[in-house]
Amino acid sequence: MAVTTTTRPAAGPTARQVRGWLRRSRRRHHTGSLGDTLTDIYVVVLFVGMYGWFAVSGLRGQLGSTPPARVDTADRYWIAVALALAGAGLVWRAVRVFGPLLVTPAAQAWVVSAPLDRRSWLLPRFGWLVLGASAGAGLIGAAAAFTGGSDSAVELGWAALAGVACGATGVSASVVAQAARREPRWARLVGTGLVAAGILVSLLVVLGHLAGFSIPRPPVSSTVLVGLLASPVAVLVTARAQRALGAVDRASLTAGAQYADAAAHAAVLLDPSTLAALVEGRRWRSIGRVRSRRFRPGGRFAVLVQADLRRTFRHPSAVAVWAALLLATYAVAVAVPSIEAAAFVILAYLATNRLAGGLRTVSRSPGLRRALGGHETVLNLAHVVVPAVGAVVWYFAALPGVRPGVGLIDLLLLPGVVAATCWGATRPPLRHDGVVVVTPFTMIPVDLMRQVLRGPDLVAVLVIVQWLLG
Amino acid sequence: MQTLTVRGLTRRFGELVVLDDVTFSLDAGQAAAVVGPNGGGKTTLLRCVVGADRPDEGEVLLDGKRCHETNPEVRATVAATLDDIDFFPDLSVVEHLELVAYAHGGTAEPVAEVLAELGLDGARDQLPATLSSGQRRRLALASCFVRPRGLLVLDEPEQRLDVRGRDWLADRLLREKAAGTAVLMASHDTELIERIADRRIEIGA
Repeated sequence: MAVTTTTRPAAGPTARQVRGWLRRSRRRHHTGSLGDTLTDIYVVVLFVGMYGWFAVSGLRGQLGSTPPARVDTADRYWIAVALALAGAGLVWRAVRVFGPLLVTPAAQAWVVSAPLDRRSWLLPRFGWLVLGASAGAGLIGAAAAFTGGSDSAVELGWAALAGVACGATGVSASVVAQAARREPRWARLVGTGLVAAGILVSLLVVLGHLAGFSIPRPPVSSTVLVGLLASPVAVLVTARAQRALGAVDRASLTAGAQYADAAAHAAVLLDPSTLAALVEGRRWRSIGRVRSRRFRPGGRFAVLVQADLRRTFRHPSAVAVWAALLLATYAVAVAVPSIEAAAFVILAYLATNRLAGGLRTVSRSPGLRRALGGHETVLNLAHVVVPAVGAVVWYFAALPGVRPGVGLIDLLLLPGVVAATCWGATRPPLRHDGVVVVTPFTMIPVDLMRQVLRGPDLVAVLVIVQWLLG
Repeated sequence: MQTLTVRGLTRRFGELVVLDDVTFSLDAGQAAAVVGPNGGGKTTLLRCVVGADRPDEGEVLLDGKRCHETNPEVRATVAATLDDIDFFPDLSVVEHLELVAYAHGGTAEPVAEVLAELGLDGARDQLPATLSSGQRRRLALASCFVRPRGLLVLDEPEQRLDVRGRDWLADRLLREKAAGTAVLMASHDTELIERIADRRIEIGA
């Protein structure tokens, strides 16, 4: 057989032609119809619309039910701003992890490795990405304004415009960052800066509230200001991103694809552990190497506790999130005092849960348990020490934001939060061979419900107890 | 003419240095085997060469020019089979290969020949989900031979191949060399390395 070594790109097909070839070939093996696809889309839209509306209207009702004397509207406004900033920072980081442009591993191996024009190949998905991000952010903007009490179509329109502009700017700016040969410094700063700004604003509001001072609201509507400023920026950045598409390389296209693949697996199998394992793996790979030290002697239990403590502090965000949730308790007390008690229990659970990584790992790995040996109860108890101590510290640091002094109820809530964390962290891996419940939307394994509810179920009981006795 | 030149390639994961200042060059028609212990960075080196990973320092040159994966000429020259290959679940074996040939501006002409050579002609209409791991490996390797190429980059190509498959692989790589294709491969198969490689690149030792 002849070996062809001519490597000058042949006058081959355009990206559009290859896309068409691929679509036609794949369609031949599909039995699903357009009607099936539209039905799937309808179900998702219905699901999101219905539950989204319940959430928005419920939250609006809750915010409106707080007596005006109990809450300062300026404080509430700034807490909302802080929430928006921190949320935008987290979304930015998530978008950067996914790419945001990505191709499936199959497309990467069989198509993207060919000498097709990269920009033409990526242009349609970039268009859909900008459209989706703008529409989603616009909806979120309008929903946020409605939740905050806006009824006027003009106000909602400005909020939607601000959302559209921010969505388009964010996703296009992340494509520009993706196209750079090395991750630009500004891209890292945007994520960190937005989260830090959110934390700083909420810290100032909380401290001001405790000191009896309130930061006044700005004289102009923030949605109008953001809408006016961000719209031209969105146009410019989108045009810049469109020009940069040709420079998006395979390394950046495939890094996010692995996350997308794991997320798809998690969605199809209704099991988030694949995605969680990938996130965890990447996180530790980014650290690469740590300084190993000998454990202090003190018996098996003490060594296990030391190892758990060491892992917790090596985790880049466990302690930071734990502390941020502490601030969130005070922020909720300032902005929505009507739900502060329930939020306190939920946030205590989330904070404790952040420190229970060791317990989750040993509970889900029979191999690790065998390797560590000894009695399983002792093994679990050793991994409860760090989250339990963290829960005690967190609880008493956050308690003054909710009520003055320690009451009898705290003797129930604090152990309850630790128990809920242990209950949730010791859930076994998901089984797909068990009983399945047929719902109007999909078939759900009974074991999945146990996976989702184990831990939060006990928290719900604690919230009710707090409501009845608090 | 040096087809491939790697200069001072360094890759770190956090504080862990996986590749430390790797330098080598490869002429047209030459084969080099990247050898080293598990975790030594062999796959990472190949990924950096094909542009599937970004080195922290150093450069890769192809035919004397700085090699960027975003350049269509580079993609036309470098044919690679790494460990991250995946398949379209709804395309048959033959359609996968025709797609590669077509996307590279060629025709389906070499596909039947490559299928026969790799013993995949009986599986030509099968979907990837029905293939054994050995057949998948052969399909992945086949993707390199239905398209033009000046540099072959293979990550442990002998993996999951039976004895006949390994014999075929060695013959095939010898013919590639004879035709002027440079071959860069990571391998643990000493017999294959003895037969094919003109030189060894030791890393992670």
